[in-house]
Amino acid sequence: MLNRVAMYKELDPLLLSQLRLALMSFLVVVRDAEFNLLKEKTGATAGNLSVQIGKLQDAGYIAVEKTYKNNYPLTICRITPEGIAAFEAFYSDLKQYFDK
Amino acid sequence: MENEEKTLTPQESLRVIRETIDIAKHSFRENGFHFLLWGWLVVIASITHYYLWKIQPVERPDIAWIVMVVVGVPVALLYEWRRNKSERTQNVLHSWYGLIWLGFGISMAISIPIAIRGGLSPVPFILILVGFATFMSGVLLRFRPLIFGAAVIWAGALWCLFLSPPQHLLLQAATAVLGYLIPGYLLNAQSRRHVQRT
Repeated sequence: MLNRVAMYKELDPLLLSQLRLALMSFLVVVRDAEFNLLKEKTGATAGNLSVQIGKLQDAGYIAVEKTYKNNYPLTICRITPEGIAAFEAFYSDLKQYFDK
Repeated sequence: MENEEKTLTPQESLRVIRETIDIAKHSFRENGFHFLLWGWLVVIASITHYYLWKIQPVERPDIAWIVMVVVGVPVALLYEWRRNKSERTQNVLHSWYGLIWLGFGISMAISIPIAIRGGLSPVPFILILVGFATFMSGVLLRFRPLIFGAAVIWAGALWCLFLSPPQHLLLQAATAVLGYLIPGYLLNAQSRRHVQRT
């Protein structure tokens, strides 16, 4: 049990948030997505989503590109190789936690 | 997702990962456009090739396949260009799907001249490759009719052993209908149902 508690503490704290983990799980499959699509798929509010995207961006897990499409501003979030590695490590740690 | 900063338990983390990955996977939908486009072109080209070879012979009956380049390539490229413009994600499954068919195209471009130079009918080789790409598409899309279609195409390739080269063309048309036109229409119907639901 102590082992499990210790392992839980080792899990990447940045990914122990529901919205951030959902964002990373979605992006690990789709690689990149528009802000509005992420909002739709996660059911988050725009404000909360922006904050959490900012935290993942600061950690280098995702890159944010602001562009235009048909004269409308478009925000595209893309998972970075560091983000993929962090997600894979998190998932592997999680599996080890359950295997103990 | 109301909780802005709630720390997840490992059980909750696993549930979030599973649920979200499932949502992401289902955001990749194929409407079967390419199966229908190439399926009809293969049927038309195969039957025309047979007709120009056995019924109304001309010097180069294989000219029938020009339809693949003249019609197939521009239509497919235009379709993909329009789809990329409207797509809201670059799904990694979509990339794999495209890579499978790119690999198929390259393999076919290599095997056809080798077969012809060796005096062999290229049809069985094409069917083996199409069968593989169709099988992989079925696995990736989790769409069984394509997997059954691949089995029919592979069976067609084996059947070629007992047929003459002109008959290979008719068999190729039949496998196109059973192997990817019918699954293509089923995929299209499934995609329409999905669009209506969402």
